[in-house]
This record gives sequence, C-alpha cells and structure tokens, in this order.
Amino acid sequence: MGPLAINEIISENTNFFLAFIIGIAFGFVLEASGFSSSRKLAGMFYGYDTVVLKVFFTGAITAMLGMLFFSLFDWIDLDLVYVNPTYLTSAITGGVIMGAGFIIGGYCPGTSFCGASIGKIDALIFIVGLFIGVSLFGAGFNWWNGMYMAKFLGSPKISEFFGLTDGVFALILILIALGMFRVAEWAEKKFPREEY
Amino acid sequence: MKPRLWLAAFIVPLGLIIAAVPQNTTHPYKLSAPELLSEVNTRTQFITPETVADMIVKKDPVLQLIDVRSQDEFEKFSLTGAINIPLTDLLSDQNVDLFDQDVKMNVFYANSTLMANEAWMIIRQLGYTNIYVLEGGLNYWFDVILNPKQPSSTSSDEELARYDFRRSVSQALGGGPTLLENNENTASPAPRPAIKSIPKKKKAAGGC
Repeated sequence: MGPLAINEIISENTNFFLAFIIGIAFGFVLEASGFSSSRKLAGMFYGYDTVVLKVFFTGAITAMLGMLFFSLFDWIDLDLVYVNPTYLTSAITGGVIMGAGFIIGGYCPGTSFCGASIGKIDALIFIVGLFIGVSLFGAGFNWWNGMYMAKFLGSPKISEFFGLTDGVFALILILIALGMFRVAEWAEKKFPREEY
Repeated sequence: MKPRLWLAAFIVPLGLIIAAVPQNTTHPYKLSAPELLSEVNTRTQFITPETVADMIVKKDPVLQLIDVRSQDEFEKFSLTGAINIPLTDLLSDQNVDLFDQDVKMNVFYANSTLMANEAWMIIRQLGYTNIYVLEGGLNYWFDVILNPKQPSSTSSDEELARYDFRRSVSQALGGGPTLLENNENTASPAPRPAIKSIPKKKKAAGGC
C-alpha cells in the first residue's frame, strides 16, 4: 500500500495486515485460475496452454494503461513511482536462470507457494530447490558480487530509449500483446495436448 | 466473440487515446536528487567565459544569455544579446517557451555563480535541457575577458594563446559602461582586430 504507508496515513502494522489480506486474495485467485498446476504453467513453453502469457500480459497492459490515465488525470505522479534499477548483466543472467528453472520445475516462485498450499508435491520440491538456490546465492555472494552489480543503467524506460512518449509506447505494446495472443491461440490449436 | 476480441475492442481505443493525448508534464521534478547531485559534482552546468565570448563575437544564434540579476543591475551592465529574467520572475508563464526547447543554449549569469546556479538548479529540476551557467559569473568575466592579465613570458603556449584570444575578444566586445574608466583601449577606438580562436577542448555537454 505504497503511498499510504510511506506518508504514514496507515501504520506499519496495518500495512502488514493489508499485505496479508491482499496476499491471500491474490493466492486464491491464482489457484482458482489454475496457476497451481505445473503442467498448465509449463504449457507456455510447449505451446499447448498459453494462459500464463495471456494473464500476465493482460495484467501488464491493464496496469500500464491505468497508470498512464491516472497520470493524465493528475491522480498519480509517475516520477515518484519506484522503478527497479537495471543491472543489465544480472538481469539477463537472472532471467536465464529463472526461465530455465521455470521450464524444468514448472513453477515460478509465487505459483510454487500457491501449489504447495494445496499440497502439490512437485511444488514442495520446487520450494526446497528454491531455498537451496537462495542459500547458495547468499553464501557465495562475494564471488558474484562484481557480476551482480555490473552494467548499472539506472532506471531507464524503453519509451525514453526509443524517443517515444509513454502513450505511443503503450499503444505499440498493446498491439504487440494482441499479436502475441493471436500467435498463442494458434499455438494452442497447433500443439494440443489432451490431458494435463 | 472471442475474449481476445473483447479485450482488443476495449483496450485498443484506450491505447489510442493515451497515445494521442500529450503526456502530463505538470509534475514538478524531473530529476531525482542523485541525478542532480551527479550533475553538480561533474560541474556539467558550467560553460567557460571563453566559450561564451567566442559565441558572442561570432554572433552564434544558438547562444541565449539570461541575466538573472535585478533589472537595475541589468540596465547598468549586461552582456551583449542577454535578456533579463530576474530570479523572482524565473517561473512566470512567458518564460516557459524559453526553456522548453532543444535548440538554444540558455546560459544563466549573475555577478557571481550563486544566483545563476540557483536558477540553473530550479530549471534543470523541471527537466529542461540545454541550461548552463557562466563559470565564475560577471566578476570572473571582467577578470579574464575584459581585463585579461598578461601571463609571464615563461607561460605555456596554450596560456599565451588564451591570453591573445582574451585580449582580442576584450577589444572586440569593447567593454560595458562600467569599464570605461579602466580600459585604455576605449580612448581611441582602434579598428577591431580579428579574433583568433583558441583551439577548443571538447567538453562533454550537459543534458542527460
């Protein structure tokens, strides 16, 4: 609850409580939409089920449009919204490791807890792997600290990189997303899988 | 109708609207404090008197000198081609067009760098680029451009070339009313000598 907590409109404890409630609601929706099934999630990479792509991209473009309209109506100052700083090397390395783990394990970190909460054994094993990975990363941090901090780019925006306004970039991204959805539905027909 | 088409029918018009409307630029600060600090540390805002003098003499249309002192002071002495925007009027509406452009180099100056730096910091925070500060202000300008001191004969070639340049610029610019007393050249207006440019050292221009 970013601005409410930072501006001390709500206390830190209330903030945690709201996070707890929102977390439960998020997990519930995630599970109800079938995101606790590793077969469904991994289907993204084999083409038989692309719901992950559709849900997350729809979420992204909806949030993007919402933020841009909020900014237009002066309800939010986008310059004050925290953007994760980009460390290019670790972003690429992390993306590759995360992607490989996603294909092999069939979960991403959030959905693995979602699966574990309904007793999925593969999700539990995934979480064990996740903790091993986190521990190794922490224990060996001195070794890859240099790589971890390499190629710091600040908080760049793709729209700035291409010299576009945020609005024009948003429209382009929407069209790209819709094009991808079309390809995704074509893939689902092309690579069907009966039971999963 | 497929969900994808529903989504498209809803979201594409919204995308068109957001692409068509101008970006909301009412937010006061475009630079974060660390970004500004980094510019301050690297002193990218400063432009040397020599560069400015050279541009004035060559009547470079890109240069826009902005005097941030009071109107009284501006009328007593100002640099050639400068306009007067007292610091108190800095943010008035008619000045926005002056800053909101990518072509001209706006160079703030005052007697020292203090007021010019204040103006620079405010305008830079608003996200405008091509904003500079005359290094050393007018005091330094008098010292190095209008009354350059002759370097000792053992000085480096570069030092001597710079002195030559400063002296020729000084004669070309003629000095303002405040200089009449101590500038012997003005007594007999000699033909203006040609300006010899000093070889420019490329300086990373500020901006982003």
